[in-house]
Amino acid sequence: MYKRILLPTVLILIAALALAACQPTATPAPPGVQTVEVTRIVEVVKEVPVAEKKLKACFIYVGPIGDIGWTHAHDQGRKIVDEQFPWLETAYAESVPEADVERFLDRFIVEEKCDVVFTTSFGFMDGTLAAAQKYPDKIFFHCSGYKRAPNMGTYMADFYQVYYLNGLMAGALTKSGKIGYVAAHPIPEVVRHINAFALGVREVNPNATVDVRWIFSWYDPAKARQAAEAMIAEGVDVLAFTEDSPTVVQVAEEYTNKGQPVYSFGHYSPMAQFGPNSMVSGQLVHWERIYEDILMKVYLGIYTPKNLENVDYWYILGQKGVELGGDFGVPINPKFEAPLKAVKVTDPLLGEISVYDLVFKRLEQMTDPAVLFDPFTGPIKDQQGQERVKPGQRLSLYELTTIDWFVEGVIGELPR
Amino acid sequence: MNWVSIRLEKRLDTPRWLNAVTPVLSVLAALVFIAVLFYILGVNPLVAYRRIFMGAFGSLYGLSETLTKAIPLILCGAGLAISFRARVYNIGAEGQLLVGAIAATWVALFVPGIPDPLRLPAMFVAGALAGALWALIPGLLKAKLRQDEVLTSLMLVYIASELVNHLVYGPWKGAQEWGFPYTDKFPPSAIIPHLGTTRIHYPTLIIAVLAAILAYYFIQRTRWGFEIRVTGENPEAARYAGMNYLRTVLLVIGISGALAGIAGVGEVAGIHGRLRYPQGISPGYGFTAIIVAWLARLNPLAVLLTGFLISGLLVGGDAIQLALNLPAATVHLFNGVILLFVLSGDLFTRYRVRIEFPARMAPAVAVRPGVEVKE
Repeated sequence: MYKRILLPTVLILIAALALAACQPTATPAPPGVQTVEVTRIVEVVKEVPVAEKKLKACFIYVGPIGDIGWTHAHDQGRKIVDEQFPWLETAYAESVPEADVERFLDRFIVEEKCDVVFTTSFGFMDGTLAAAQKYPDKIFFHCSGYKRAPNMGTYMADFYQVYYLNGLMAGALTKSGKIGYVAAHPIPEVVRHINAFALGVREVNPNATVDVRWIFSWYDPAKARQAAEAMIAEGVDVLAFTEDSPTVVQVAEEYTNKGQPVYSFGHYSPMAQFGPNSMVSGQLVHWERIYEDILMKVYLGIYTPKNLENVDYWYILGQKGVELGGDFGVPINPKFEAPLKAVKVTDPLLGEISVYDLVFKRLEQMTDPAVLFDPFTGPIKDQQGQERVKPGQRLSLYELTTIDWFVEGVIGELPR
Repeated sequence: MNWVSIRLEKRLDTPRWLNAVTPVLSVLAALVFIAVLFYILGVNPLVAYRRIFMGAFGSLYGLSETLTKAIPLILCGAGLAISFRARVYNIGAEGQLLVGAIAATWVALFVPGIPDPLRLPAMFVAGALAGALWALIPGLLKAKLRQDEVLTSLMLVYIASELVNHLVYGPWKGAQEWGFPYTDKFPPSAIIPHLGTTRIHYPTLIIAVLAAILAYYFIQRTRWGFEIRVTGENPEAARYAGMNYLRTVLLVIGISGALAGIAGVGEVAGIHGRLRYPQGISPGYGFTAIIVAWLARLNPLAVLLTGFLISGLLVGGDAIQLALNLPAATVHLFNGVILLFVLSGDLFTRYRVRIEFPARMAPAVAVRPGVEVKE
């Protein structure tokens, strides 16, 4: 008789302990930035009965949903929450010109009766803020910006840690010591990613360089191809990028299949299919983690049009907002397992370790709620050799989101 | 032998009514064509058109947005109409708009000592001058060196666009903008006032309407206008008659550049309140204005109407996405088809189409044995 109760009780206890252990501990907010403690309440209240209350969430995208990059990833997130919550209705507008966003916001609010609007390009920032002031009882969330209002929050899932991991692999795989980066716009987000990537590269390969080419566009396959081919012609044999198409991966695959190996790292969406022989890994995003959290809290009345002034989501590895890999669940293309295991480096703390193991060790450290490792830990010098981060210090969130200098090893200039 | 033979005969003279009717019929034909596309996409074309019309003209909001977007289209379109009349094909209104925006930003943020009430007028003058000067480059290249202005003016769009990029990413990047490519906000004295809560920056709207009316008067009623028309009809004859070709080319392209520059001032000072990167300032107004001018058959007064209508099409086009859930590419398709039909419709004003049925006239002799004739 006791046994029948005992077993479930023990199981429940274990489960409760495990859950408690999984709860991320709050990390102190860096100076200058107020972060709101983000807890994952979604799991707890998923079983909300189909209520009479409905919520309509609308999404404004800057690119086409078929771009296999930024916009595609956001739309995947939208589809997931749309299916997940029976009380949720969603709508979207794609390829919205940045000059026209105010009109789309007006229409979504007035004609389509949206309760929450997500705008997913930093160029939509001013327009979103204007709409937030115009419609004080509606809720707005702007992705990748820094302006907030009582009814407008911000959110971002950031890749800098993942770029760093990609950099470790790039540094191990390059033969020429020249690595290329096709970059969209020279804004802090992209600069941060290039820097993190270069820090990874130089940790494994202190003499390698990262050459940067700006294409001044988020989506321009033609320019991305030009930039990638130009760098390959100059001896670059590993490519990373920020652009919303798989073009760079395709270029690397073409060269590899012709007998000149060029490796690449996918960006934003699973791009493994475009580079089966040449794509090593990449960066993947889970926007749905942020969307479910926001929408659930709006639905439950935790977020109101009056309390979003300080709501800023910054989801990184620890929050499972991003993932390492070229396809979900595949952190490293199995083809590159052996080459990465063959390269050994000596880490002051970890001793001699293969790059393959180093990647997973760092991944584990950065995923840990206590964030045991951060790529932007000093000493870090800039391109001029000047020390920018003192030994043992980490860049704050504010410094990360406003970064406007390149680390040592990056070739290229920031427009000034 | 062909069943039907279609021949084109050049018209010596185009009747007035045809000039007016052709664009209307062309647009109607385009709408019928697009209706078929809507049908294939699974949307009732009548419902679709109703939504587009209502989106643009069916509410005060839609109407105000249509007017807002019509401002740059009318300004650029009126200028292009004059330029195209002289057969000076200035394709670079977009670039002239951007340099106008740059000049306005410079006056708004970096020129000290202008009294507040004079700030906006100074911005408009600077924008117009900058646009005109930018347009004079392809004008001079055409008149002096016989360089094709279609290419040169188009290339200058990209240069203007890179110039804006350089400024907002570089020296003009705002101090308060976290490293994002925006200049700082304009001071209040440099912001064009709006009509109520709409986005209609009405001073620019007034300038646009006046510009279109003056442009019409200029081209139809003045001696320079006459020279422009003659130069357009027959450059050789104009030169023979002692008309100054250089002056005419520079005049028309300068005017169109100035008007585009004013449009740029309106966008930065009336809509955005700052300079930002090019795609953020204009979603291609300078290019769309080419359709506007052409649809107006290069009549600046008609530009008022076509600018308003094309703007309505763009604004109503939202409905294609928001209400009908069709992909955004449909909007571009929509606009492209209309331009294609309007441009091809032009053929009918210059040529007479003769359709003949030779088979009817020739008896059955022409039919090869074994082929059944169905009649």
